[in-house]
Amino acid sequence: MQSKMKESDPILEVENLSASTNNLPILKGVSLTVYPGEIHAIMGRNGCGKSTLSKIIAGHPSYNITNGDIKFLGENINSLEPEERSQSGIFLGFQYPIEIPGVSNLEFLRVSTNARRKFLNKEELDTFDFEELVKEKLEIVKMDHAFLSRSVNQGFSGGEKKRNEILQMALLEPKIAILDETDSGLDIDALRIVASGIKKISNAQTGIILITHYQRLLDEIKPNYVHVMSDGQIIKTGESDLALELEEKGYEWTDNFIKET
Amino acid sequence: MEIIEKIKTNKSDDNLTEIQKICLNKLQSSPLPNPKSELWRLSNKSKLSNFLDYSVNKKDSKFDLPYSKNSQSTIRLIIGENCQIKLIEKNYSIQQLSEDELQKYIMEQISFFKQNENWSDLLNLSLSCKDNILGLKINGSKIPPIEIFSHASSNSFNAKTLVIFLEKNCDVELLQVNLGKENSSLSQSTFFCLKENSSVNHGVVSYGENRSNLLNSLNVIQQKNSAYNLGSLHFKFNYARFEISIKQSAGNAKTNIKGMQITKKDEQISTYTKIEFNGPNGFLDQINKSLADDKSHAIFEGSIIVPKIAQRTDASQLSRNLLLSNLAQIDTKPQLEIIADDVKCKHGATISQLNEEELFYMRTRGITLTDASKLQLSSYFQEIISFIPISKEKWDLLDKLLNEN
Repeated sequence: MQSKMKESDPILEVENLSASTNNLPILKGVSLTVYPGEIHAIMGRNGCGKSTLSKIIAGHPSYNITNGDIKFLGENINSLEPEERSQSGIFLGFQYPIEIPGVSNLEFLRVSTNARRKFLNKEELDTFDFEELVKEKLEIVKMDHAFLSRSVNQGFSGGEKKRNEILQMALLEPKIAILDETDSGLDIDALRIVASGIKKISNAQTGIILITHYQRLLDEIKPNYVHVMSDGQIIKTGESDLALELEEKGYEWTDNFIKET
Repeated sequence: MEIIEKIKTNKSDDNLTEIQKICLNKLQSSPLPNPKSELWRLSNKSKLSNFLDYSVNKKDSKFDLPYSKNSQSTIRLIIGENCQIKLIEKNYSIQQLSEDELQKYIMEQISFFKQNENWSDLLNLSLSCKDNILGLKINGSKIPPIEIFSHASSNSFNAKTLVIFLEKNCDVELLQVNLGKENSSLSQSTFFCLKENSSVNHGVVSYGENRSNLLNSLNVIQQKNSAYNLGSLHFKFNYARFEISIKQSAGNAKTNIKGMQITKKDEQISTYTKIEFNGPNGFLDQINKSLADDKSHAIFEGSIIVPKIAQRTDASQLSRNLLLSNLAQIDTKPQLEIIADDVKCKHGATISQLNEEELFYMRTRGITLTDASKLQLSSYFQEIISFIPISKEKWDLLDKLLNEN
């Protein structure tokens, strides 16, 4: 449901996507198109399929696409592995970033960054060059260098984990970033740091999908479009004021749209 | 062929030492460990029988060490290579035990042997000739790291014995490396006596080549206020048993154990531990990890014995296991035997597979499934490896070996 005429090709096209896990249908015909420079917000009750949509776009092996297509830069990526999707420029910021004890954050970030650079035919970075790059990116999320020597996300506070996600986004320079409840568990200051980081990283060539429950993230990052999901479908799409209306009226208000759908 | 017949065939030499005669007699009276006993019931009988298929090698062939010394100060000894050592420095001394001292200590140990529990030691001592027994008395502090190698040459059976006395207030770092060449069997028995206030960081790294076997037995006696830290890693053996027996002779001592075994193909590697507290205020923290792939079999059985005299013992034993294949097998049984009433003891076991969500997370960062699995396994090893007193260079070698198919 795009109302504007677009000058460039879309980054991401989700076309009538249905998906299931353990034979249980989760997505029931989702369509969404993201053009360069656009910020989309997806809102909806818990369990409506928002996170599932993000995982399926990222290639989670537990879900089966039963119908529809996901196209990235015009190519169908339904059968691509998660790492291939990431290398080609799709980034998923996790709602609950995973802890990996024993794997140093610095090494993890370096291996990830080099996987993306290799895809872009850029020279892979050795430890010293990577240190320089990561130092610059740490500034974006105001993270201390000490976080790099710790294990990935282990012992990090909720806010630190989310900042580590944005640091990864900054290093990987994705074409599209899907940020799943990046604002959850953040205090006001941390939310501002994360939001400011996202704004610094995004540009006219990138697309962003923000999955959120709250207006407060959208106060910091104004979306071009807001989509409301319910029971595995997008039931309404509007501009940024739709989020305000939703905040005011609650999700019960959207039940009418379900009936219409 | 019965195992005892194989031993007899191997022992054509009439010039047996007193220790060998005693051990051989004990074996003859009951030649095989009881396959129904808890300690042997899971042991692969055919692999155990194959253990003695090779003839005993008394004189070792030239042995190439797997890595060079990273520091000139490291003291390096190879059991069976006529190693003579007598170092008397300002802060420390390392001397060989005399034959009398060795015989006296080993005889005393043998008097406590039980057939099933010490079958590996009986086998070792009945086959280990004088040249393959190394006894050391270590005293002092600021001692350079010590490395001791045992190895079995291809197509042969080697029995090596190590006896170490750590004198009072002594503090040392010791790495034992057991290497099995292709088609070989290595029997390694180690006897460690830690006197009062002594402490050791002991690493045991054992790895083999194609179709190599290992019986590795470690007997430790800890006197009061001693600290024994053991980090161990066993991998690449067709058949291997690591038997650990630790006795805190008067309690008031600390024992930390972090061990790991990795099995692939149709290998079987097992770890048996018995920790006895014979006095109050003893401390134990133990974790054993197994990782089993393909059709292999990993076994852990641990027992903690806390008699009435061992009040205020604080002991923990955990067994963590990772199954990498549907055909691999893991058996684990941590157990407590507690008579004392004022103690803090816990034990537990987990068996799991690679964490799918961790793998997905890494893959969404562009890391391939193979590399993500390797990273996850490295992190699984890390807790154990970091406890083994090895330098980065040696770890690089191990890392390479661990990642080989």
